[in-house]
Amino acid sequence: MAAKTKKKKQARARRYRKPVSWPLWLLFMTLFQLSCMLQIYINGTQESMVTLFTVYGVYIAAEWIYFFVFGVVLRRKSFEIELIAFFLTGLGLTLTTSVYPDRAFTQLAAVLMGIVVFIVMLWILGDTKRVIRLRMPVAVLAIAALGVTLLIGDEINGAKNWIILGDGVLSIQPSEIVKVAFVFVGAATLEHLQSTRSLTKYILFAGACIGMLFLMKDFGTALIFFFTFIVIAFLRSGDIKTIFLVCTAALLGGLGILTFRPYVANRFQTYRHVWEYAQTGGYQQVRLLIYSVSGGLFGLGIGNGRLRSVYAATEDLAFGMVCEEFGIIIAFAVLLTFVALVVYSIRYAAAARSAFYSIAALAASSLLLFQAALHVFGVTDLLPWTGVTLPFISRGGSSMLCCWGLAAFIKAIDVRTYRRYDKIARN
Amino acid sequence: MKTLSRRAWVLYVLAALFLAGLGVLFYTFWSNADDWAMRHANRHLYAGDTLTAAGSITDETGAVLAETVDGERQYNDDRDIRTATLHVVGDSEGYIATGVQTAYQEELTGYNFVDGVYDVKRYGKGNDLQLSVNAGLCVEAYDALGKNKGTVGVFNYKTGKLVCVASKPAFDIANKPAENINNDKTGAYEGVYLNRFFSGLYTPGSTFKIITAASALDNIADIEDQSFRCRGSYGIDGGSVKCLSTHGTIGFERALNVSCNSAFAQIALQVGAEKLTATTTALGFNQRFMLGNIRLAQSRFDVSGASQLDLGWAGVGQYTTLVNPCHMLMIVGAIANGGQAVMPYLVERITTQDGAVVQEAETETGAQMFSEATAARLQELLRSNVENYYGDRRFRGLEMCGKTGTAEVSSEEGGDDPHAWFVGYSQREDLPYAIVVVVENGGGGSSVAIPVANQVMQAVDDLYGK
Repeated sequence: MAAKTKKKKQARARRYRKPVSWPLWLLFMTLFQLSCMLQIYINGTQESMVTLFTVYGVYIAAEWIYFFVFGVVLRRKSFEIELIAFFLTGLGLTLTTSVYPDRAFTQLAAVLMGIVVFIVMLWILGDTKRVIRLRMPVAVLAIAALGVTLLIGDEINGAKNWIILGDGVLSIQPSEIVKVAFVFVGAATLEHLQSTRSLTKYILFAGACIGMLFLMKDFGTALIFFFTFIVIAFLRSGDIKTIFLVCTAALLGGLGILTFRPYVANRFQTYRHVWEYAQTGGYQQVRLLIYSVSGGLFGLGIGNGRLRSVYAATEDLAFGMVCEEFGIIIAFAVLLTFVALVVYSIRYAAAARSAFYSIAALAASSLLLFQAALHVFGVTDLLPWTGVTLPFISRGGSSMLCCWGLAAFIKAIDVRTYRRYDKIARN
Repeated sequence: MKTLSRRAWVLYVLAALFLAGLGVLFYTFWSNADDWAMRHANRHLYAGDTLTAAGSITDETGAVLAETVDGERQYNDDRDIRTATLHVVGDSEGYIATGVQTAYQEELTGYNFVDGVYDVKRYGKGNDLQLSVNAGLCVEAYDALGKNKGTVGVFNYKTGKLVCVASKPAFDIANKPAENINNDKTGAYEGVYLNRFFSGLYTPGSTFKIITAASALDNIADIEDQSFRCRGSYGIDGGSVKCLSTHGTIGFERALNVSCNSAFAQIALQVGAEKLTATTTALGFNQRFMLGNIRLAQSRFDVSGASQLDLGWAGVGQYTTLVNPCHMLMIVGAIANGGQAVMPYLVERITTQDGAVVQEAETETGAQMFSEATAARLQELLRSNVENYYGDRRFRGLEMCGKTGTAEVSSEEGGDDPHAWFVGYSQREDLPYAIVVVVENGGGGSSVAIPVANQVMQAVDDLYGK
C-alpha cells in the first residue's frame, strides 16, 4: 500500500516536472506581435497610427503584467494555457486592427474584459463549495438569458441570437456567454458522478438551451451545445447506450426538421457545391478558398490579402484571413493549438483535485476544438457551413469573453493554478 | 478519478478525428490549389477576365507578343503578328484552350502552392515566357494558307523545337470581332478558337500510305519484289477502292510515288487489320500526347469490325481514320530522325522577373516509332517521292522528302473539296526541319499543299539554313 502511494506520488511529480519556460515564450510571442504591428504600420494609413500603437501597447502590456503578477509575484508555474490564449487572441487582434482600425478599441476592450473574466473564473473555480452553490443560479440565468434573446433578440444573418442595446452601441450575443454557463452547470455535479438521476436534470437543462438556440435558428451554436452535452453526459455516466439513444433521437429530430422546414435545408443547399454558387450563396466560401491558397505556405503579409474585402472576413472567414496573410503553416499551427488544449486536459484529468475539474476542462477544451472544427471545415466546404466563429481569433466581444471563460476551466484542472509548485513537489 | 481518466481517453478519438480532418483539408488545399488560385475571381491575378498578373510572352527572337502594361494586357504592335500568333499566345478569356495564356497561366503568374501569389505581389507580375516559335515565320505560314482554313507546323526534328505554328482562321486579338464570331453564319469563323495544329483532327488521305508502307516493310518480307495491278480501282467484296488514275502494273516504290490507291488497298489487305493496327499503335494512334501543358487531339485508327473493303480504304487513309497534324509531324520527324520520335515543344523558357530560369525546354525523345531499317528505307521512299514524282524544282534547294495527301471529306459528287496535305522534311544536314501542311477543302495535295510547304520551308531555310 505504502509502495503504491509512493509510486503514485512519483508519478505525479514526474507529470509536473517540466513546466514550460514561460519568459522565453512570452518574449517570442511579444516579438511576433511587434512584427505584426510593424507590418500593419508599413501597409497602413497615417490616421490609424495612434490606434495601432495604443492597441498593441496596451495588449502587450496586459500580457506582461499578467505574467509578472502570476509568474513572478505569485510564483506560479505552468503557463501553457495562457500562452496559447494570448497568442491566438493577439492574432485575432491583429486581423481586427488591420481590417477594421475603427473597431480595434472595441475589440481591445473585449480582450481585456476576457482576461478579467479568466481571472475571476479562476477565483470562482478555486472553491468547489462555491461552485456547487452557484450551480442553480447560473443555470437559471443561462435559461433566462436565452429566453430573453428569443423574445427581444435581433436577427443578424438569419439567426436571431443578438441583443442590440442603445442603437447598436453595444451588441451582445448571449448564447456565447451561456456556453461558459453550460460547461459550468454540466460539470458541477461531482457528488453524483455515476448516477443517472442527476443526469436527468442536466438533460432537461441542456434540452432547454439547445431547443431555444434552434428556435433562434442558430444551428451552429445549437450543434456546439449538443456536442458539449454529449461529452459531459458521457464523462459523467460512462453510459454509451443512453448517449447512443440521445444521438439517434437528435439525428431523427434533425432529419425531421429538415423535412418539414425546407427553409432550414435551404441554408445548406450550397454544401459541396460552393463553386456553382460562386456569385450567390457560396460567394464568401469561394473567395476564402481562392485566397487561402493564394497566400501560400508563408502568407502574403498582413494587409496584402484580398479576402479582407469580403463580408465578415474577420469573423466567419477568420481562418481564410490567417491562411492568406499569415500563411497556411501558421493557420494549421493555430488549429493544432486547439488539439493541444484537449490533450492537455486529458493528460491532467487523472491528477485533478476532483471530477468537477476534469469534466469542466475536458468539456471546455473539446467545445473549443469542436467549434474550431465547425468553423474551419464548414467554411472550406468539407462540412455544412454554420457560420460559427474561430475561437479567440474571430472578431467579437461576446465570443472573446466566452473563450477566455472556457480557458479558465482548462487552466483550473492543473493543481498548480492554486498552489505554489514547490509546495506540491514537497507533499 | 480513475474511471474518469479512462473515459477521457474517448476525447483522444475526437482529437484524432480532428487531426484527420486537418489532413483532409491540407490535401484538399494542396491538390486543388492550382485550380482555385487560377479562378477568375482571384483579384490577385485577374482584373475581370484578364490575367493581368501574367508576365510577358515573347517569340524566339525576344519580340514581345503579349505583356501587361498598367494593369492591361497588350499585344504586339503588328496586326499580322497578332493574328498569326493568336492561337499559340491564346486569349485572356480562355476560349483558346491550348494558347499559353491559358495552358500556362500558372507558370505565367508564377503561382505555386508554397509561395502562393507572392511573386505577383513583389514584382507586380509573374513569370515571363519565351515561345519557341518565330513570329515572322508564323505570319509567313498564315499568309501562305491563302483564303483557306487550315494549319501549318514546322519543327526541328532533332531538338523538337517548334518554330512555326499557324492555324487559320484567326482574328486580331486587339480588335476582336466578337459580334462577327458570335453571329457567324458564313462559316468564316468556324472553329476560330481551335488551334488546328494541336487540336485538329483530319482524315489523313494518302499521307497515311507512309504508315501502310511502314507496316508492309515490317511484316511482308518480299513487299519490294511484288507488283500490283491498278485498273483505276480495286474491287473488294462487291465494292471497290477508287484510284485517281489507272496505273497498270506497278511496283512498291512507284506505287508510293504516284500514290496508287489500288496498290495500297492490296497492300493493306495483305498486311491485315491486326498488323496494321499494331503499326499505328506503335506510332501513337489512340494515345494521348502532352506537349508540356498542351494536350494534343488524339489520332484515331480503328479497323476492328471493319470489312475487307473498309480495310482497303483504311490502307489509303480514308475510312474512319483521323490524324492530328502535330502528331503527323512527329511521325514524319521520327522517320527523318532514324525512327526515334522527338517530342515537339512550344515553350522555350520561363523566367522570373529577377531573371531566374524556372523552366527551360530540353530535347525529349519519345517512342522508337520505326525500326532503324524501316526508317532508313522510308527516308529513301519519301525522298524518291519528291525526286521522281513531285519534282525537286518545286522545293528549290531544300532536298525535301515527303508525301502529299488528298483526303476525301465528302462522299457525294460535287460535295466539299478534299483536304490537301503535305508532310515531309528537308534531308539537308544543316536544315533538320520537318513540316506538316493541311489546307482544308483546298483540293489536291500536290497542287495546293506543296506550294504552301515550299513557301514556308524556303523561309525556314532563310532563317536557319547555312
